[in-house]
Amino acid sequence: MRLLSFALFLLLYLPLLSPSNASSQHTNNWAVLVCSSRYWFNYRHMANALGMYRTVKRLGIPDSNIILMLADDAACNSRNKFPGSVYANPGRHLDLYGENIEVDYRGYEVTVENFLRLLTGRLPDSFPRSKRLLTDSSSNIFIYLTGHGGNEFLKFQDNEEVSAHDIADAFHQMYEGGRYNEIFFMVDTCQANSMYSKFYSPGILATGSSVVGENSYSHENDYDIGVAVIDSYTHYVLEYMEKVNKTSRLTMADLFTSYDVPKIGSHPGIRSDLFERPLGPGNPDHPMSEYGWGKGWTVEGGGEWMGRESEGGKSARGFREALITDFFGGVVDVDVNNEDNDEFLHLFEYEDSECSPIPKTPLPPSSNKTHSSPATSLPSLFSLLDVLDSYPSLRPHLALTLLVALFVIVFGGVLSGRS
Amino acid sequence: MQQWPSYPKAIGFCIVLRLLLALSLDLYLSPPSLDAYSSHNGDKVVQFINDGPGLLSASSPLTLYANLKESLWLYHHGIDPYGSGIGQSPLYLALSFFPSIVDHTPINSQILSKAFEYLLWTIPDAFSAWFLVKIWTARAPSSFKSSSSIAFLLPTIYLLSPYGILPFLARSTGVWENAVLLGAIAWACDHAPNFKSKSLLLLALRTHLSLDAFILLPPLILLLLGSPESMLAEPRPFALRAQFTVFRAAGSLVLEFMAYWSALTLISTLIVGHWRWMSATWGASLSLPSMTPNPGLWWYFFTEMFDHFRPFFLVVFNIHLLMYVAPICIKFQHDPLYALFILLGILATFKSYPTLSDHGLFIAFWAIFPEVYPYLRHPFPTFLVLLHSALLQPLFAHLWLSHGTGNANFYYASTLVGACAGGMAVVDAVWAGLRIAIEKAGKDVKEVVEGEEMVVVTQQ
Repeated sequence: MRLLSFALFLLLYLPLLSPSNASSQHTNNWAVLVCSSRYWFNYRHMANALGMYRTVKRLGIPDSNIILMLADDAACNSRNKFPGSVYANPGRHLDLYGENIEVDYRGYEVTVENFLRLLTGRLPDSFPRSKRLLTDSSSNIFIYLTGHGGNEFLKFQDNEEVSAHDIADAFHQMYEGGRYNEIFFMVDTCQANSMYSKFYSPGILATGSSVVGENSYSHENDYDIGVAVIDSYTHYVLEYMEKVNKTSRLTMADLFTSYDVPKIGSHPGIRSDLFERPLGPGNPDHPMSEYGWGKGWTVEGGGEWMGRESEGGKSARGFREALITDFFGGVVDVDVNNEDNDEFLHLFEYEDSECSPIPKTPLPPSSNKTHSSPATSLPSLFSLLDVLDSYPSLRPHLALTLLVALFVIVFGGVLSGRS
Repeated sequence: MQQWPSYPKAIGFCIVLRLLLALSLDLYLSPPSLDAYSSHNGDKVVQFINDGPGLLSASSPLTLYANLKESLWLYHHGIDPYGSGIGQSPLYLALSFFPSIVDHTPINSQILSKAFEYLLWTIPDAFSAWFLVKIWTARAPSSFKSSSSIAFLLPTIYLLSPYGILPFLARSTGVWENAVLLGAIAWACDHAPNFKSKSLLLLALRTHLSLDAFILLPPLILLLLGSPESMLAEPRPFALRAQFTVFRAAGSLVLEFMAYWSALTLISTLIVGHWRWMSATWGASLSLPSMTPNPGLWWYFFTEMFDHFRPFFLVVFNIHLLMYVAPICIKFQHDPLYALFILLGILATFKSYPTLSDHGLFIAFWAIFPEVYPYLRHPFPTFLVLLHSALLQPLFAHLWLSHGTGNANFYYASTLVGACAGGMAVVDAVWAGLRIAIEKAGKDVKEVVEGEEMVVVTQQ
């Protein structure tokens, strides 16, 4: 009997032996697209995010699963010669703003705090569902950031910065809360590769537009609009994505090997050491194993790819390859598991209350305190109120005594007269 | 005839059954463990009832156990519990005298505080059942025997009906409100010494806890000045020697009620320290700050209307409650207990935040007036409509809020059906109460004219 119970006890550890979450099939896709700049001269960042939004929608993620954060001041800007439109190419062939885009966080709501709270799910109850990242442990999330950045930081709305450490911590909270299956993190800023250098949670595949110390450049200007309309890295990524449709079996390596450094103007990087699945073989002309080498790549030691060494071992472990449609695909099964989220949130709420106790403030004094009439009864009233304020537990005790006294008087029959 | 057990045994038996049910549900839902995390879980039984069979109906924002706990916690920590503009009566805050009801952190105090909570919610129901039997004995003393079936069935049905059990398990404060109200009525019926003061004090307390009970003051005063015996068959104008004496007696009773009410107001102000609690508790029933769905008629209407019309419709809905008082008290001045009963029905159907406790009280009161049963025109359809609504309401609330497949209209439709049942019940009660008089009058006429074979045709 004891042996049996011990064997059963060991069975509890069986889930540890099973393959980890990353190789399990995801059931729904989400996208978080953030443009962290505002003002007219950052038109191209708006166009970046909107272009990515259009691609993500075209490939099947519905608006309910996309969180779009934009300052949204380009389309209706008084300087916009084509009001109500945002274009991403000089010929103005495709209006990205259109009539049915859904911006979830607009204007001054695009803040670092909102972004991190959105990721971790620690939003107040007043936030509507459209502003929440309602992911669960089988969601694949595509997170795209664009704007002005630097070494391990990203500037939000010309006002504040989010650091790579913050995002890494937020991702780890998401990992511990079971809020994602895999994350594909793409960032298009100056020195973008530093943004993903601090991640430490499993299941994240990241790519950035430029190495540390290098700028990312805009692609083209439109001379009628008067500003640059798209960034180079995003332009070429979107151009590649036009080849992808909902049923493509193109792998992530195909996307990464399409990077063309002379055209892009900066050296994009990849981080895949936290990502468990293999990226695929890549383009046969310049396969994934030669990423960063060959013509165009001028950085010593190969193009920046964190996780190059572990790539070989992944295919040996039998995981299936990461497809582009894993992150950009359509929704297979939307399953909002509210109970788990609530329990998790309750854990954090109680920890918060223990960490930052609410300060004990005395109750406000009664409003009939006046300093005008010098009647003899008033000083005693003052002192009574002061006593009540200084001993806050006196109030309910006194009140309870009075209440009990009232009931005893009436029910004890002391109040005679009418019966 | 089989000898039924006496009513104290009935009450004791039902209380024990209820406690067993509550304890077993509690043990099933939250098995005891020494894990510190479990003490933060909140009460699983209350959650189970408030998310399951008692969804939206076991408690309203004014009677919710979670709101009570929250205001106790805030008060205990020195924060104003009425900051949000809606809250429960400050008299509940006197419970913070017992700190174990506020914090459950140490494990042994968790068990003690749970036992204390069970006691706090069981005792009022035991008293309610006892008060019901007292009202019944006061009304029909000649036909009452201590071990008759009604004396056994009345408390049993009240205590074991879902309208009693669900608010008890959900720890809604409606349980206390019912006990206080039934105490007020019981002492008004039972002419013990000093009964008037007791009854008025209890009604003052009840009005403090929930302002809607104010409409029960006129029939209660009539009851205090009259008698609870069934006079439905013999209507006569309410006369206590002379009209002037009646007004003077009623006026002194009103003054006494106001005295008790002011005393309770002062005590409440003493507890909280400011006067804003009045707009948060009484103002909440009058001005509907919280649109939480409930089995009532107000919330849906007020969510749909424009703010421009809100004050007008608030006045309309509140006057709607007030306007029944005078006609019913005038028409049933010969039997004030019946007037009280009808007003209880109106309160259950038309008040701002009704819960299962209010409906349960009205349904329980039906047992006290068996003389009207033969004269009801449509008892069975009323019962079926009530059953229809009672079964569909939690189902539609569940579909709307938990499943996400229905919407508010489903739930509100079932609420409307419930209001229809309430209206049908009240109308039928009024009809039957007046119909008895015609029957009796017909019999009197028949007795007088004995020579001729006068057949009085009575329609039933």
